[in-house]
Amino acid sequence: MKFKTKLYMSVGSLLLFIFIIAVVLLNMLEQTTVKMNEVVNDLNERIEMATVMKYETTRIGFELVFMVTNSEEMVHLKAKQDWEESQIKLYEAMESLEKKDTEERAQELLARFKTLYQNYQDIGQQALTAKRLNHKTEFSASFWADAEITRQRMLQIADLLSVLEEQKLKSELFRTKETYNLAVTMIYIYLAIALFIGVGFTFWIIRSMTNNLNKVTTVMKQATASNFEEMPRIELSAKGELGEITVAFNKMAEALEKHSLREKELKEDAKAQSWLNEKIAEIATIYPEVESVPELADLFITKLVPMAGASCGIFYLKEFVNGEYYFKKLSSYAVLNDSDTDIGYRFGESLIGQCALEKRLIILNDVPDHYLKIGSGMGESPAKNIIIIPVIFEDEVLAVIEIASFETYHPLQIKLFEAAVNNIGIKINSILSHVKLEKLLLESQTMTEELQAQSEELQLQQEELRTTNEKLEEQYEALKHKNEEIEKVRGALEEKAQQLEVSSQYKSEFLANMSHELRTPLNSLLILAKILSDNGDGNLTPKQEEYIRTIYSSGNDLLYLINDVLDLAKVESGTLDINTKEVELYEVLEFIDRQFSPLAEQKQIEFAIEMDPGLPANFETDDQRLQQILKNLLSNAFKFTETGSVTLKVQLMMQEMQVKENTRLQQMLAFSVIDTGIGIDEDQHEVIFNAFQQADGTTSREYGGTGLGLSISREIAHLLDGFIEVSSMKGKGSTFTLYLPYVQPGYKMRDQAAYEEAAISLYENHGDTNEDPIKQRTKSNLKNKKILIVDDDIRNVYALTVALEMYEMEIIVAENGREGLMVLEDNPDTDLILMDIMMPEMDGFEAMRQIRSLTKFKTIPIIALTAKAMRRSREECLEAGATDYISKPINVEQLLSLMQVWLYRKES
Amino acid sequence: MIIEKGANNYTLAQLEEIERIEIDLLLEAIYRLYGYDFRKYAFPFVKRRISHRVYKEQLTSISALQEKVLRDSEALMRLLSDFSINVTEMFRDPSFFKSIRTKVIPIINDYPEIRIWHVGCASGEEVYSMAILLQEEGLYNKCRIFATDMNKEILEKAKQATFPLDVMQLYTKNYLEAGGKRSFSEYYKAVDDKVVFHSFLQKNVVFAQHDVVTDQSFNEFDIIICRNVFIYFNKDLQNQVHKLLYDSLSLSGFIGLGQREGVRFTSYGNCYKEFEPSEKLYQKIK
Repeated sequence: MKFKTKLYMSVGSLLLFIFIIAVVLLNMLEQTTVKMNEVVNDLNERIEMATVMKYETTRIGFELVFMVTNSEEMVHLKAKQDWEESQIKLYEAMESLEKKDTEERAQELLARFKTLYQNYQDIGQQALTAKRLNHKTEFSASFWADAEITRQRMLQIADLLSVLEEQKLKSELFRTKETYNLAVTMIYIYLAIALFIGVGFTFWIIRSMTNNLNKVTTVMKQATASNFEEMPRIELSAKGELGEITVAFNKMAEALEKHSLREKELKEDAKAQSWLNEKIAEIATIYPEVESVPELADLFITKLVPMAGASCGIFYLKEFVNGEYYFKKLSSYAVLNDSDTDIGYRFGESLIGQCALEKRLIILNDVPDHYLKIGSGMGESPAKNIIIIPVIFEDEVLAVIEIASFETYHPLQIKLFEAAVNNIGIKINSILSHVKLEKLLLESQTMTEELQAQSEELQLQQEELRTTNEKLEEQYEALKHKNEEIEKVRGALEEKAQQLEVSSQYKSEFLANMSHELRTPLNSLLILAKILSDNGDGNLTPKQEEYIRTIYSSGNDLLYLINDVLDLAKVESGTLDINTKEVELYEVLEFIDRQFSPLAEQKQIEFAIEMDPGLPANFETDDQRLQQILKNLLSNAFKFTETGSVTLKVQLMMQEMQVKENTRLQQMLAFSVIDTGIGIDEDQHEVIFNAFQQADGTTSREYGGTGLGLSISREIAHLLDGFIEVSSMKGKGSTFTLYLPYVQPGYKMRDQAAYEEAAISLYENHGDTNEDPIKQRTKSNLKNKKILIVDDDIRNVYALTVALEMYEMEIIVAENGREGLMVLEDNPDTDLILMDIMMPEMDGFEAMRQIRSLTKFKTIPIIALTAKAMRRSREECLEAGATDYISKPINVEQLLSLMQVWLYRKES
Repeated sequence: MIIEKGANNYTLAQLEEIERIEIDLLLEAIYRLYGYDFRKYAFPFVKRRISHRVYKEQLTSISALQEKVLRDSEALMRLLSDFSINVTEMFRDPSFFKSIRTKVIPIINDYPEIRIWHVGCASGEEVYSMAILLQEEGLYNKCRIFATDMNKEILEKAKQATFPLDVMQLYTKNYLEAGGKRSFSEYYKAVDDKVVFHSFLQKNVVFAQHDVVTDQSFNEFDIIICRNVFIYFNKDLQNQVHKLLYDSLSLSGFIGLGQREGVRFTSYGNCYKEFEPSEKLYQKIK
């Protein structure tokens, strides 16, 4: 029975007993009380009724008397009413008592009372009836006595009844007391019984409980002493809580046993695991230094097989051959007949392929004896067990390992294989991806190299193309030039042809009219005219004299004309002789002076001969021809000048001149005839050199002359290797300049080269002649370039200016940085700046920075002139914006080279 | 595509195969007849140059070029000059020269003698750059620069030390960027539309014809400059030439390669340490 049930039962039964007892007692008490109440009430009622009967009986006596005796109507009625009332009351009491007290004695008494009551009522009725009939009727004493006696007897009976009832009450009370006593006795008895039963129960329960508990404790004590592997069990058939405890304990014991067993297992497992880990770690030590898969496979298989106690093994690696994956033997350990003939296994082919396909290891136990033999030098024996393990990385089989052993594989060995293989999978993958990466890197390296090669080729091709292009351009230029030349020549030819036509026309006319013989009659004419004009006879009118003079002067003109024409014809036919010899410049000029001074005086015109200092005293030319040209030019000047001056200016200067097709610079003597005469229009400049033409081509010419003078002069100048230039403006006078090459006396012009050499050696007083052609070219590279020199040292500036002006560069100067900036602003076409660094006001660094801050001068070359001693300044110069620098003191040649580099512009 | 005649029946792959055979044959023929060995040059490069020559010679196929080259040594010379890519600048990649100046010079400063080999010097720009650099570092007098190229004509040009005027602005910039210590104009003289570098720069320079593909090592050097030479070679030849350079370089000597080259993937990759990786300057360590 359950412990709980027992407790419920024992305590519950006690409570039940007490409850029953209480209920019974209460019931009894209530019963007693109710009965007693009933009885007491009933008895009280009865006693009251008896008392009412007594009282009424008493009253009716009086009322009867009062009613009968009292004859007054009113009182009589009242009495009669009271009488009747009492009668009723009495009857009622009697009736109810009769109902209530069923006892024999009471009934008997009541019956007698009733009879008496009837009697008395009849008496009353008689009296009443008598009274009604006669108000004054007097009743006899007997009547009254009779009535009284009846009434007295009634009273007695009522008293008896009252006493009877009171006696009844008393006896009832007594009985009630007895009942109460009985109840108390009953309570005691019940309590005693309940107590007994309760104690008994309790005792029984406690006994049974302690008994079982002791058993349990004993077993438990035993259990603590045991080693938890085999624990005692509690043998108890009891049910309930203890039973449960027993079951729980037994379960616990079982669990503890299991647990300790498990712990033992785990310990063993941990030991195995640590062995495994150790081995795996040992295998892992080979990984770091390995960089190729074959090496890894070798190391791995030779390490793993002996470690696992196996005898031989093969490592197959997955390889991609001809679009298919094969597992190829990569490495082996102690395999007999180890040859590399096989090409490998595909997926699913043989157990190797199958293993790879299924991605799980395959173990073969007890293979047939002839399946595989493991041998040494001393003998061989069949292997019994084979394990095939896939090397998997990220669900992909990378390799397969096959290991054979004499022994059956222990689970731990298998675990070792699995773990080792798992690790090697990672390593293989890393090596493979590393190899892949290497390969990719190599490819990218090859690509970049290829790219570089291509870029260099391209550069080369570009260079070639550029060269070709330049050549083409050059050719094109040359062609263009040629074309132009041809065009020019063609034009010239055309012109010449025209001129030829015209001149031949003139010539034919003149030649027709002015043969040599013409001069004879002309002379006679002139002589005769002279004689006539003298007017020896005095018979000529002034008018006639005038005519004669005209004839004379015209004849003279004609003669000049004929001479000129003859000259021209000579020049053109190339028969004019040039006799070069040493000429004293002074002599020539003196002759000119002598010739023209009188004319100047006559025309009231100033005439001066100006000579530059440094003119050579003498030179080589044909003095006759030179004089002829000068005379021609001066005659023209005087002819066309009415007022002002005529000046002959002689200079020595560098001048470009045309020699064959080439233009070259040449030192030349320049004879300039400057007048303040009428001048010539620009478009007439060329015309005036044509034969027979003057600027004013109209027939009514103001000025005489054949118009052949300039033409002849020009031809002669050409014969002297010189030329004539004209600059003039209408009304502003003209300047005709004769340029003659300055040839030192005694120097014979042999050929063009010698000529060139001579010209240059004259120009350049220093340097070896070998470099001179270069200098010549250099000059053209630098020519007309505008150079700004910013330097505060005036000697420096002077030296640089002189040096650079020799190359016909245009030099502008500023004394410091600030001024340099201003000058640069005014000369935005400056090509290059030479910038000194150490200057007052604003130094070179600042100046360069400011120049560079202006957008339009971002790229202008600035050459900094640095002092050699300042090492730091070089970097500073470059930072400030210098393009290049040159150290002071400046080597002119170096400066020129550098300027050429920075002034170099690719011709577009 | 060079082969076009009768090409209708061929697939592109076949045409390429034909071309490949033709090129192989041509190179083999040149090697056997003239001794010039381009067989291990980078194939795409050789292909382009040959195509270029075929076009220029107005031929229709490589086989035709082969015939021409075999019978006409002038044509061969033209082809050879096609193979010789002479793209160079003074102080090309200025930072390279700056590294030489600031990193290498301090190490070799106290060597009693410094031998430098410029492999594939082309028209000599970098050789003169090196001479200028050494001059400014005060080492030139104890230096000997061997400048070699397989192209004889270009060597002649190099000996002239004459460069066009138009590139001088660039060269000056390079010189300055490479840490030039003096004025660049001190080293040249403008002549015509060219500049001539002063002859003292040639004092310790030996120009010689040498083909790294066929010729052997001829000295041991402290510095080898071999920039943008390997890019024309295939891997085999790169390894072969690397062996030659390795054998010619003294221990802890320096080798400078082109910007796109490297030793990493060659068989001598682990014999050098990266001395200045960004400039492809390596130092021999074993």
